[in-house]
Order: sequence, then structure tokens, then C-alpha cells
Amino acid sequence: MTAPVLSLENISKTFGALIATSGLSLDVRAGEIHALIGPNGAGKTTLIQQIYGALSPDSGSIFLNGDDITSLSVPARVRKGIGRSFQISNVLTGFSVLENAIIAEQARRGHCFSFLSPAFSDASLIAGAEQLLDRVGLLARASQQVAALAHGERRMLELALALAGQPSLLLLDEPMAGAGIEDSQHMTQIIDQLRGKVAILLIEHDMDAVFRLADRITVLVEGQIIAVGTPDEISQNQHVKAAYLGDDS
Amino acid sequence: MTITLILEQIFNGLQAGVTLFLVAAGLTLILGVMNFVFLAHGAQVMIGAYAAAAITNATGHFYIGILLAIPLTFISGYLLEYLVIRHLYRRDHMEQVLATFGLILFFNEAIRIGFGPAALFSDLPPSLSGFVEILPGVPYPAFRLWVIVVGLCCALAIGLFVSRTRTGAMLRAGAENPEMAAALGVNIKRLFRLIFAAGATFAGIAGMMLGPLTAVQPGMGEPLLILSLVVIIIGGIGSVRGAFIAAIIVGLVDTVGRVFLPSLLRLFFDQATADGAGPALASMLVYILMAVILIFRPTGLFPAKGRE
Amino acid sequence: MAGILRILGIIGSGMAHNRMLWLVVAGFGLFPIFTHVADLPFWNDLAMRIMLLGIAAMGLNLVLGYGGMVSFGHAAFIGIGAYCVGISQYYGLMDGWLHILFALLACGITGLIIGVLALRTSGIYFIMITLGFAQMLFFLFVSLENFGGDDGMSIDRAEFGIIDLYEPLRLYFLIWGVLVLVGVMLMVIVRSRFGVTLQAIKSNETRVEAMGLVPLHYKLVSYVMSAMICGLAGALFASWQEYVSPDIMHWTRSGELMIIIILGGLGTLAGPIIGAIVFLLLEEFLPLMLETLLPAYAENWMIIFGPLLVLVVLFGRGGLVGLINRIIDRLKGSSASRGRS
Repeated sequence: MTAPVLSLENISKTFGALIATSGLSLDVRAGEIHALIGPNGAGKTTLIQQIYGALSPDSGSIFLNGDDITSLSVPARVRKGIGRSFQISNVLTGFSVLENAIIAEQARRGHCFSFLSPAFSDASLIAGAEQLLDRVGLLARASQQVAALAHGERRMLELALALAGQPSLLLLDEPMAGAGIEDSQHMTQIIDQLRGKVAILLIEHDMDAVFRLADRITVLVEGQIIAVGTPDEISQNQHVKAAYLGDDS
Repeated sequence: MTITLILEQIFNGLQAGVTLFLVAAGLTLILGVMNFVFLAHGAQVMIGAYAAAAITNATGHFYIGILLAIPLTFISGYLLEYLVIRHLYRRDHMEQVLATFGLILFFNEAIRIGFGPAALFSDLPPSLSGFVEILPGVPYPAFRLWVIVVGLCCALAIGLFVSRTRTGAMLRAGAENPEMAAALGVNIKRLFRLIFAAGATFAGIAGMMLGPLTAVQPGMGEPLLILSLVVIIIGGIGSVRGAFIAAIIVGLVDTVGRVFLPSLLRLFFDQATADGAGPALASMLVYILMAVILIFRPTGLFPAKGRE
Repeated sequence: MAGILRILGIIGSGMAHNRMLWLVVAGFGLFPIFTHVADLPFWNDLAMRIMLLGIAAMGLNLVLGYGGMVSFGHAAFIGIGAYCVGISQYYGLMDGWLHILFALLACGITGLIIGVLALRTSGIYFIMITLGFAQMLFFLFVSLENFGGDDGMSIDRAEFGIIDLYEPLRLYFLIWGVLVLVGVMLMVIVRSRFGVTLQAIKSNETRVEAMGLVPLHYKLVSYVMSAMICGLAGALFASWQEYVSPDIMHWTRSGELMIIIILGGLGTLAGPIIGAIVFLLLEEFLPLMLETLLPAYAENWMIIFGPLLVLVVLFGRGGLVGLINRIIDRLKGSSASRGRS
């Protein structure tokens, strides 16, 4: 078995009296889709924020592909291979879909301190951007302004932007939130296609999507892991039923 | 350099500080709770000063001038909010800067048309025009002492209001989290109008008290506006307590610096240079203080919680 | 050779995309012919003032319009640029190129220091802190008794090699040349990878961070560049005015620059220069208009201008450039299908 892409070792985070993450250890393996579920307030988003670098843990270490990234800033972690989508879709408004992708593409190539060549007419940037949009099925909408996109399309664009940096780990924070049935199915399909290419840590409330997509599921309650396993194992787990699934379904 | 002089300057600094606080108290809430960049707050100072001076001159009674000017400044703040400001809350900061900059031009010009470009003078009542001995052998102008007392009373009232009342609790919650202020719903409109009118009133009171000490003239509020912005930066946006402490610090640094910096400079330069550069360098002192505090605390001394 | 051709290609395609800016700039180039024929030399003076404020506003627009940083202290950089000329002359240095070099250096360094401190914050804090630093510099120059203190100092027009600025129109075309240069530079920068990244940061800083970039670096570089452009305008301003005083960096001038940009059109290349035309024409002709209508109030034109600003904010969208574009769109829309994006 290869080394895990992401490895959390005993991380803790408190906000005053509130314990958000409590001595948590977790591995995300290469190429797997790993779902993180738990009731509201279980500390899922706080955990994602610590992996991403927007919050730093009080103690413990975070490793990405074997490197300690605990003290790195958000942009530094992104350059090391973390891509992310946000709970509320987060794209560059005021630009077209293609322009969004071009900006992401040039950021990946890492030469944004160029004051001369026009960005939006650069053939190689456009080619890269179009390839990116093609992966999420947005190529036909390339010339649209972001404001003209439907909710689901925005989600797809955000996913494309998150993929632009060719991450080894993708953090998806509720990608189905607010989506209709059709959009959810489309998103599920796209995420499914990413299996094996990039490790994905997925937070999602849509249990159908979670059980269809996940290779493994971690159940988080009050900042602690109460179970890790395949979807079958999790659905059979008595603790999980008692603590979480039982209340919900 | 005697103890008397030092004591006198400390009192002058205190007087400048409390006046500054009266301007900054409302402004810090307008900036922090309403998230509104209001540059025309200096005009409220001017309106208060003119109202008091004009009424005093017309009636011949200083106290009647003050007593009638206070409700006038409240009404002017209330009307300004109702007519113009409330349409600007949803605009971005730049547009707010622009619109309120336009208001400054308007008010200064309106005053110039109404009262002429020259300064307006009014007499102090005999009870306030003399000196009081603050310590045996240390006389101090009675009016300045009165300003300090009135200013501290106002500060106490503002402090009690913000810390003890339900509305005050709402204000503090709003300063910590502007979105939460927006979530308060219908009440928010009334709350905003109240902050605004009350802020205008206190700024007006500052103007009334400054009037007899400085010149009552168009544009008199702007230096005070900018100083109170510095006070707010130092104290932390939205924090009334921070504004009070910062106002006293700024008042003391500004006043004491203005007096003692020239004599300090005289040790190194010739008298003419020192006397010329001293006051201006003293005005810089406040901004240097601001820069130093920013290096260590980018959000001021008492940032409202939940703000970065 | 190939490199030069490439740069010319970039400039050419940029010009094709920004016809409004270059029409206006060309208009300023031809304007002296008009004033000569019509015998209105005073208007050249006004045109120079418009170009100077326009250049400064173009500099500010880089951070304000493209970077979304509401700096309320850019007058300070105009002042520093102007004082670089005054102080150099005080010590006998008359070379205009040196003045400009000093102005660029001084504004670059000051911009870097203020930028590092102010860019740690955002929103209202940023506005107030930039204003605070500008006030600090204002009082610094007030305190410099050697250089005139409050009253300022008279200076001569700088010497630019064989170009004698006291000859007619030499200064005019020096300013115009700088306008062209700054226009080309900004046009290229705004479309470059850097410029696009800057605009992306204005749109959504969190997303740009999630792309692995550090927004602060881009904001700081643009802030320093805009400070230097304002410094350049300030250096020319000093030669034009033949006089420097702290008044040139009064905080109301920072407000004026902002007014000019918003009047003209925020985040457009032509906006600042068009805004400068309108602003200075208003300043020039509102008093004249009042003099004919209400002679008693000729001096009080601000009473109209102030509320006008409030109305622009309440009802004007996208400034004059936006308005012109909407009119062009409508004209095109009636004759052909819509093609503008």
C-alpha cells in the first residue's frame, strides 16, 4: 500500500470552551474518495479549514504526501497540492467562465508577475483553460459571464477552478448544497470520474451521494472520530446508527 | 518649565481629549455598527458650533444658546439620515466616501452663504470667563474646566448607555458582527437613525464647547474629523471604550507635544527653526503614534471581537 | 527586433480595445491647434491641469478601480513628487530628469512602507489608515521650515536638456507625452497576467488564495506602482505651477482624485481622464454659470457641486464611460445585432 496523501496526526482545536477537534487522526489514501459525515456542529468544516490552512490546529501535525504542512499558509498548501471548493460557491464574479479558467490556469503555471503579455488572448492559456472546462462539461458555456450561470453550473466551475492546480488532494465542502436532483446527479457523476485520479475528502449531507461515491467514510461527532470504514461497514455500525444515522433517517 | 505649566497642559490635553471623544463616539459606531464611511461628521461639529453661537448672540444668553442648539443638532442629524444617509447604506465604501465628501462641500458652503466666510464670535457668561484655582496657586480657565466636566458627564452617559441598556447591547453585538446587526431586521432602521442623530448631537456639543475656544468658521469640523478618525483607528472601530481611551491619549499627546516639543527642539536647533517646526511636528506626533500602534496592533487597541 | 515587434503588437491590440482613451488622448494632442486658431491660450493651461490630474487619477485607478483598494491618501504621493522638484531646486539641482527619478524613487519607497502597513487591513480601516498616513506626510511638509513650511516655496520650471519649458507649449507636450506613456503602460498592465490577477483579487480574494497565489504581493506591487505614477504627476505639477506648498497634498485632493475616477468610470482606462475633464470644467464653469444666473452667489459653486456628487452616487452607474458605452450600445443595437461584451 502506498503512503497516504493526507495524514492528520492527533490534531486538536478549541475555541474558548468549545472543543471543535479533539485529538483527531485520519488518513486519506491516494485516489480514494473519502467522505466526512457527522451531525451539524460535529466540526467537519473546522477540520477542513485546518487541513486547508485557514485555521491552524492548537496541537498535532498535518502531512501532505509525507511533508509536514502544519505551519504553511493557504497559498503555500495550495501550491503543495490542495484544491478546494467552498460551502458557498466561490468563483470570480465579473469575469466570463473562460476567463475564470484562464486565471486559474495561469496561477497554476505560476508566472502571474508578468506585466506585458495579455492574459486573455494567450493561446496556450486558453487551450489549458478549455481543457479544464471540458473536464466538468462547461466548455459550451465558456463565453458566458459568471453571473449568467445557473447554480449547478457555478458549482461545476468552482470544481474546475479547484482542479486547475492539479491537486493531489481535493477538499469538497458540501458540493451538492442547494442543488436540485439533476445537478446533484451531474455532480455525483463528475466526482465519480475523478476517482483514482485525485484523492478527495468530501463533506456532504446528501447521504445517497455519500454512500454512492465514498470508498471510505469517516464519522465525526463532537470533534472525534467514532467510526471509519467502507459504506457497508458504516451502515452496519451500531455506534453510528445510535449517534447519527438513526436520528437522521 | 514649572509644575504649573505641566499641570495646565495636562488639563488642556484632557479638555481636547474629551471633546475629541464626543466626536469620535458617534463616528466609531457609525463606522463599526453601520459599516458606513461618514466623512461629514465634522459638519455636525460645525452646525452645533454655529447654532450655539448664533442663538447666544441673538438671545444674549450662553446657556440658552447651548440648550436650544442641542435639540437642533439632534434634528439636523435625524433629518440628514432620513433624507440622504439611509439611501447610502447599501452602497460600497467608495461611493459613501464620495457622497459624504459632497455633503461636506455642501454644508461648508451653506454656512458660508448663511453666516459669511468670517468667523463668528460669541461672549461667554461671566461665570465661565474667569479663572478657577485647580490647585492652590494654579489658576485655570473656568470655561475649559467646564468643558472637561461636561465632556466627562457626556462620556459617562454614553458609556452607561452602551454598557447597561438593551440598545447598547445591540450596538455592541453589531460592532462585533456587522452581519448580525443586519439580522436584527426592522429594528435596525430605527437603531441606525438613533445612533446617527445621537452621534450628530454629541459632535454638535463638541462644536458648541469648542466654539468659544477656537474660531467658529466654515470647515472648522474637518481637522476634528480627521483627528477623530485617528482616534478610532487607535481605539478600534466600533469600540466606544477604545474611542474614549484613544481620545484622551491623542488629546494629551497633541496638546502636550505642541507645547513641549518646541522647547525640546530648541535643545538641538536654533530658536526660529524650533518654534516653526515644533507645532507641525507635534501634529505629526499623533500620526506617528497611530503608525506605531498599527505595527503592533493592526486593528487598534480594543478591536471589537469577531473582527479581523 | 522580434521583441520590439511583439511589444508593438501588444500595444496595438490594446489600443484597438481602448479607443475611447486614445481618442481623448489624441484630442489633447491636437488641442493646442484649436486654442491657437481660436486665440484662447488660457485653455492650454486648463488642459494641462486636466492632464496632470488625469495622470494622477489614472495612477490611483490602478489600485482603486482594478485592485479594489480604496486609498484615501494618494494626494500625499502627488505632494512628495512635487516636493522632490522643490527640494532638488533648493539645493541647486535643476535637471528635470533627476527630479522625476527622485520623485519615482521617493514615492516608490513611501508607497512600499505605507502599503506594507495599510494592506494588513481592509475595508474601512484601509480607507482611514491611508488617510492617516497622508495627513502625517502633510504635516511633515508643513513642518519643513527650510522649504517654506506652510507657505510653500516658489520654484522654476525644471530643465529637460535642450527642451526649454519656458518656450510655448514645451511643458504642454511634456505633460502630454507622459500622459501617453502612462496610458500605454496602464493599458498593457491591466491586460497582462499581473493585471488580470489583480482584478481577480478585487473580485474574490479567497478564490485567488485558493489558486495558490498570495494576494498581498499583487496588491502591494500595484500600490507602489500607483504611488509612483502619482509622484510623476506631482513632479510635473510642480513645474506647471512653479510653486509647491503642502496644499498640493491636502486631504481634500485625495477626495478629488476619487471623485474624478468615479465621475469618469471606475476601473476603466479612459475613466480618469474623462472624469478629470468633467471635474475641472465644472470647477471652471459652475462659478461662471452662477455669475450669470445668481451673481451674488458666484463664489458659492460648491453648494451645487456637493449635492451633485451625492446625486452621481445615488443615480450614476459606471460613471461617464459607462454612460457613453450604454449610448454606443443603444446606437449599435438599433442598427445591428448586439456585439459588445
